[in-house]
Amino acid sequence: MKKINSELTIFFETAHAELASALEMLAVCKETDSPKQAFGYFMHAKDEYSHAKSFFNMLSLRGKSASIETARDFRFTPPSLITKGYISQKGFLIETMQLKDFIAFVYTNELLAKSSFEKILTLVGRSTEEGKRISGIMADELRHHGMAKKHFLIHYPALQPWQLMIYRTKETLNNKGRKIYDANLKFLDRLLTPLYRIMAFLAGTISKKLNLNEFKRKGKNLMNISTKSIL
Amino acid sequence: MFIGVTGYNHESSAALVDRNGVLVDFYREESLSRIKGDKSFPKMSIRKILCTNNLKVKDIERVAFYERPLSAFLHIVKEASMHMPKSLDLLTHQFRNFNRSSVSCYLDFAKFFKGLESKLIYSDHHLSHTLTALAYSDSKEDISSVVIDGFGDRSTASISQIVDPTEINELWECPYPVSLGLFYSSITDYLGFAINEGEYKVMGLASFGDSNSKSAKLVRGLMDWDSNSNKIISDMSYFDYHLSISKSYSSKLEELLGPARNPFVQLIPGNNDFQRCADIARGAQDLMIYLLGKIFTHAHKITHSRRFLFSGGVSMNSASIDSLAQLPFVDKIIIPPSPGDAGCAIGAAFYCYIKSSSYHHLKIEKPSLFPSQKEKRNDEFLTEQIISNEFSYLERDEDYAFLKAAELISEGKVIGTVLSRSETGPRALGNRSLICDGKNMNAVKNLNTVIKNRSSFRPTAPAMRYEIAEKYYKLRPEIYDCYKSMSATCKCLKDNVSSEFPTTHVDSTARIQIVEKNSYLYKLLSKLEPMGIEILANSSLNVSGDPTAFDLIDGLMVCLRTDLRYLLTDLGLLIRKT
Ligand SMILES: [Fe+2]
Ligand SMILES: [Fe+2]
Ligand SMILES: [Fe+2]
Repeated sequence: MKKINSELTIFFETAHAELASALEMLAVCKETDSPKQAFGYFMHAKDEYSHAKSFFNMLSLRGKSASIETARDFRFTPPSLITKGYISQKGFLIETMQLKDFIAFVYTNELLAKSSFEKILTLVGRSTEEGKRISGIMADELRHHGMAKKHFLIHYPALQPWQLMIYRTKETLNNKGRKIYDANLKFLDRLLTPLYRIMAFLAGTISKKLNLNEFKRKGKNLMNISTKSIL
Repeated sequence: MFIGVTGYNHESSAALVDRNGVLVDFYREESLSRIKGDKSFPKMSIRKILCTNNLKVKDIERVAFYERPLSAFLHIVKEASMHMPKSLDLLTHQFRNFNRSSVSCYLDFAKFFKGLESKLIYSDHHLSHTLTALAYSDSKEDISSVVIDGFGDRSTASISQIVDPTEINELWECPYPVSLGLFYSSITDYLGFAINEGEYKVMGLASFGDSNSKSAKLVRGLMDWDSNSNKIISDMSYFDYHLSISKSYSSKLEELLGPARNPFVQLIPGNNDFQRCADIARGAQDLMIYLLGKIFTHAHKITHSRRFLFSGGVSMNSASIDSLAQLPFVDKIIIPPSPGDAGCAIGAAFYCYIKSSSYHHLKIEKPSLFPSQKEKRNDEFLTEQIISNEFSYLERDEDYAFLKAAELISEGKVIGTVLSRSETGPRALGNRSLICDGKNMNAVKNLNTVIKNRSSFRPTAPAMRYEIAEKYYKLRPEIYDCYKSMSATCKCLKDNVSSEFPTTHVDSTARIQIVEKNSYLYKLLSKLEPMGIEILANSSLNVSGDPTAFDLIDGLMVCLRTDLRYLLTDLGLLIRKT
């Protein structure tokens, strides 16, 4: 039971990540002023969409044999891309980042993505059909990485490969940091949940006494109710 | 200029109305973010409205949010608090996410569009629905408005009488948590489909069910109408939507109907659990039709009106509109093209306008079904490399491109369209569509399963001119406008060939689209009819699970991700290189 849960989690989360990166690429594609770059990002987005589809298929294959309760938890709803933090509440990266930083971000993340697929590859087995598909995805990521690198050097020739290394180290640390932060947050969350529940209980006890009847609208002209009232 | 905005609870969107009462622009956030059902603060939509229309914050007189945020929040909390400790998770979730609820819309305006927050006003949720529907009505006076959704900001259904746009009196309401919309969503959830998205599937599935089956009868008994008190009554112990964040139905419902369906297992006609699921869907649909009938009858009784506006998420239940049209007191039913919460931005923008000094007696222009301004951005330049690498032009001239597209359709091919402005509502009406010959079984099948990957039990809509529709279907003049936006199904005429069309559902109904004159589909049909094709199968242009394509890039992407080869665009007719 626990095993299937953790397996489903891996495919579920990876599918989210791949879909989010498809949307990020599509956003840059529409944002750029160069038809050539638009084409590059367009094809990159297409790859990421197809990666996401593969992981959703792998998820659905396993979901069929899970209990209904478990399966329900792994039903994908697109807005969770935002609530789970795969896409920022602030908007797509291209809206909040310089293009240069964005390329560096892609450069490093493609490599990091590739390494995380290694783990999944072990899980499904290298020689299985799924294993072959994942190897294909890993080859895509390596290609994306190469493209990003080339792109970066064309547009910023003054930057040397070693400077990209710095970017990469920075992003790796950031990623690790994110993971640690995430783990801490989860820990903190577990710690605080009872407290939150007590607070919710108290607030609930007060809410019980709320009388919302005076805000009823029956018989009223809805166009005459204060435009400033949030209640 | 006036802006209306929705978000946080359901699909977010933004609309722009000018000082003459004209809807100038409208975007759903999901169209731009490409996240289906996106309910985050509609920053991309507002930005696009400002940018496309060359507006600055100072040019906006007022902004209206479509509901009263604190009211929505408190009604849910109050109900949940009556059921502690069972509802503790929901309460904890509500309080912890207080700052992410619509209560924070003021802060989001301040953060993303400095200055707009000081112009913010609030409308009532159901009033926003009503005003959206009213905009699409030819007459703006003496009409009754029925709003039914999951939950607004205080009630789940309401009836108001519109004297004129400045006097809209609410006469009846169904208080939360009893809710026809949430009941239908719970059944959707129970049947393994995603809430807010799978309701269409339940509706399609219902046609396979038997009203006299045990399951259907059990579901049919979950709610009722009390004619003494004129209230909807519901045994809430079968539902958990008011108590839980993760589950909308209770274990008692599973005891009643059997285990819920695993969402990952495909539902295929003929397979073991299919009939039980279809019967359950049938029961839900029967109950829906019964209660809608009761609500409309009550609306007529208290308003004496024979003309109705119908909006809110439940009005998207197109399979129940035909029975409403047959009620003896109904002269007309108007359903706006975007009757769900996304469309409320339009009502909210009109709310600002009607409350402003610009409003003069009944001066509200009826919007078309395609409101957003055409993109100012040069598609041809940006897509130049994508097209030259992956596509070829079959025809560049518009007239020849349409003729060539017609020829391809007559040969049984499926064509995608990305033409001019995108549709207002959730249904693609030709500008962002996948189309093929509606009488060609193989073509329709190809469109449905190969390209769209749709469940086999969901029908595809046929589109045609009015004169053609009359030959095949039992049309009802009371809901003529609904046919234009695919908001109502109709029955095939008795002993008519239409019952054999591939676009006809198992129960001999079809969700037809009557094509408007001056629309692109009309133009295409005028080329097709001489070739002997009078009906097109029409589905939205998207990959399953995605929002409908918004711009040309989205359309090109659908081609690359599916087997779709032809795309009819403003630039010409494209074919994908193989
Ligand atoms: Fe990827
Ligand atoms: Fe990649
Ligand atoms: Fe609503």
